[in-house]
Amino acid sequence: MFRLPRSSRRAAAAIHARLACLNREARGVAAGAALAAATVLALAGCAGGAIGESTVASNGKSFVAGSYQTTVYPRGSGPVSPDVSGTTLAGQKLALASYRGDVLVLNFWGSWCGPCRQEAPALAALAARFRPRGVRFLGVDIRDSPPAASAFQRNFGIRYPSINDPGDQIALAFQSTVPPAGIPTTLVIGRTGRVAARIVGQVTYSALGKLIADVAAEPA
Amino acid sequence: MTARPPDGTPMTELRVPSGSGGPDAMPAGAGAGAAGAAGGASRSSRSADPPAPPGPAGSSAPAGPSAPAGPSAPADLAVPADLAVPADLAVPADLAVPADLASPSSPSAPSGPPAPSGPSGAGQILVGWLRWTWRQLTSMRTALVLLFLLAIASVPGSVIPQEGIDPAAVSQYYAAHPALAPVLARLSLFSVFAAPWFAAIYLLLFLSLAGCVLPRTFRLAGSARQLPPRAPRNLARLPLAASYRTALPPAKALDSAAWLLSARRFRLHTGDGWVSAEKGYLREAGNLLFHVALLALLGSVGIGGIFGYKANRLLVSGQSFANTVTDLDQFRPGRLVSPSDLQPFALTLDSFTAHYITSGNLRGQPTSFGAAISYTARPGGPSRRDVIRVNHPLNVDGVRVFLTGHGYAPVFRVADGSGRVVFDSPVPFIPVDQAGLTSEGVIKVPDAQPRPLGFAGVFLPTAVDVNGRLQSAFPAALLPRVSLVSYSGDLGLNSGQSQSVFQLDTARLRRLPIAPRPLAPGQSMKLPGHAGTLTFTGYRQWASLAITYDPGQLPALISGITAIAGLLLSFAVRRRRVFVRAQATAGGGTAVTVGGLARSDAAGGFETEFAELTRQIWDAHAGDGGGAGPAGNGAGPSGRRASGRTENEPSAGPDDGE
Repeated sequence: MFRLPRSSRRAAAAIHARLACLNREARGVAAGAALAAATVLALAGCAGGAIGESTVASNGKSFVAGSYQTTVYPRGSGPVSPDVSGTTLAGQKLALASYRGDVLVLNFWGSWCGPCRQEAPALAALAARFRPRGVRFLGVDIRDSPPAASAFQRNFGIRYPSINDPGDQIALAFQSTVPPAGIPTTLVIGRTGRVAARIVGQVTYSALGKLIADVAAEPA
Repeated sequence: MTARPPDGTPMTELRVPSGSGGPDAMPAGAGAGAAGAAGGASRSSRSADPPAPPGPAGSSAPAGPSAPAGPSAPADLAVPADLAVPADLAVPADLAVPADLASPSSPSAPSGPPAPSGPSGAGQILVGWLRWTWRQLTSMRTALVLLFLLAIASVPGSVIPQEGIDPAAVSQYYAAHPALAPVLARLSLFSVFAAPWFAAIYLLLFLSLAGCVLPRTFRLAGSARQLPPRAPRNLARLPLAASYRTALPPAKALDSAAWLLSARRFRLHTGDGWVSAEKGYLREAGNLLFHVALLALLGSVGIGGIFGYKANRLLVSGQSFANTVTDLDQFRPGRLVSPSDLQPFALTLDSFTAHYITSGNLRGQPTSFGAAISYTARPGGPSRRDVIRVNHPLNVDGVRVFLTGHGYAPVFRVADGSGRVVFDSPVPFIPVDQAGLTSEGVIKVPDAQPRPLGFAGVFLPTAVDVNGRLQSAFPAALLPRVSLVSYSGDLGLNSGQSQSVFQLDTARLRRLPIAPRPLAPGQSMKLPGHAGTLTFTGYRQWASLAITYDPGQLPALISGITAIAGLLLSFAVRRRRVFVRAQATAGGGTAVTVGGLARSDAAGGFETEFAELTRQIWDAHAGDGGGAGPAGNGAGPSGRRASGRTENEPSAGPDDGE
């Protein structure tokens, strides 16, 4: 596993920022727990109130946005993609296994998600560009409603299908191997069904294009 | 006569008085030397006899009870020296925590940084300072101060709204105190538990505790294994003592006493003419347990911080979510948690019910909440049902799912200018008033044509008109109404920025010229300029769930309980020692002396135990030996609940007789 040089600096910075944040968080949590242990029951009474008293647990964004990060698996070493299926926005049954033999670009998205909207034109263009080379695209629409998702696809001229996955079952199936660590996340799956790359965060035309070209060039 | 040296040699006995000190003798034992010097070499033929220092030959002298006064003044001083075998008698070491902890490395720690005298100055000064600093840091006082500081430092965490817990309240605070808020933010008071100064206190405390507990643990482990000390020379001087005569030979008398004591689970140490027994090692064990558990507690807390995670998810009834990062609203992983470590459960909120008091002063107060859910622990697993209530979380594979909030999600359907439905889903609104659950929210329709649409509005569960203004009078949805302000233009979503689903960025939006009008379920609002139509189709309830995984929680609980148990044990059990000396007397019998000593101040009850033991030993001796001697003293040893050093005639008698 290694990161693309192109993105490495940015990714490293983002990861460092995040880790620093997590460290503080972890310490905070630990400290809080230690304190709770020390003062034994002092705080225990607080939880008994009506739940209405706490405002909704909303962070600034209300979803976990991916910080940009690319993982590329050397050929043949990536995890095998799970055999899952779902129903497309158009109402068809679709199984991931039916893409064996083709390169599959799997994109987790939602019409409500800003970065997804910004990367959509690049995905639409790449899908058209690589179609002759046996590369197929599939979207996984999460936390979305079909009318909104369909409107999104119309507006961005996206012609490839998307599985409507309100319960996030597809992401869950990938969890143990290449978890989509935020929205959007894009997976490139080789012809043998092995995951070749994972991009967490918004993709760019050139970076994703190069990745797909490399995987598509591999013999089946 | 000293025929039987089972494990100690006779000589060990004799060395004590010489002042050179047995292994246990303290520096204070100088007095013992002085006392012993009187007897000197003349005693070497026999083991010391309990009451009278002058030994066998000096029988004529100051026998028995008055012994201390007799031979020499220093004898008085000799008493502590004799007893000083348990050096910690004066200061029960196990309780004197601060003194002990102050000097984990060397017992004779100076209170200030040592001034090095050697020539290799600077390095030694540095080492000296480092050692001094370490000693200060690991002192109990420092630990207590830090613990107290930690408690104080966390007070702002419950007074000032916290970023990690309630970001909405933080922004409200900013609005309410525009001058003060930035100052507080600079001091990290909005995220106290993540503040550098808080971390500093915590880490110092951790270091201090670990630095004091570890060395102490090793020392306790050592002291829990050691043998009882040798019997003091003069048992009569012990706080509890009794003596009598028996017809048994000394070796037999000691044997049966040892057997009896060991049957009562005393740990034995025998020497020539004496038996030393000690009990109550559980005290040390309890102490040890306490310290080990304290370390384990710290460790478990650390484990929780490293391998645990916390997450939030707001779920509208009828919706499902999977415990995967993409499906969480907020995810705060521990240091070594990666997204693939999340337990792969999936959960559907089937329904949410809330009950409220409908009349009286408390009208509108909630009485119960219940989130009926179904879940699968792993993909493809069986589906189970449960109801999550306040303080009654769901537990899936060690992950606990708490109910932390609730509200309404009105359902909207939006058709755009071309007549296509481009939005149809529930939108969670956030309560802004608890009494009536008046809630606010926004709707974003970024894919409406010809222009994106946005709405900001308020949902009133029970709408009533108060002086021309709509308010919600009751938290249940008895008369639900929604009122919206409409916008069209650029929502800012396509810029690629992540934005809150609860906020509308109106910078590049144009407000549509349509007056907000309360809509009842089923009612529509046609937007001007053929921008589209919005329909309020109904409402659902939502529940916010807190998902927490803390693998350190159970270990922390267990260690906490263990620590308390250990502490109680070390308070309840006391170390006590019983010594028996038997010595043949010229008259043909054996003089037996029994002494008792409890090591801690709180030794209530030892007198009774000692009296009982003494009686049993005496019984044993009387039974075996034909009971010649004991008859001599009327009360028997049981009568001598030896208070202090009351000597009794029988014990003095035989010695005198020589």
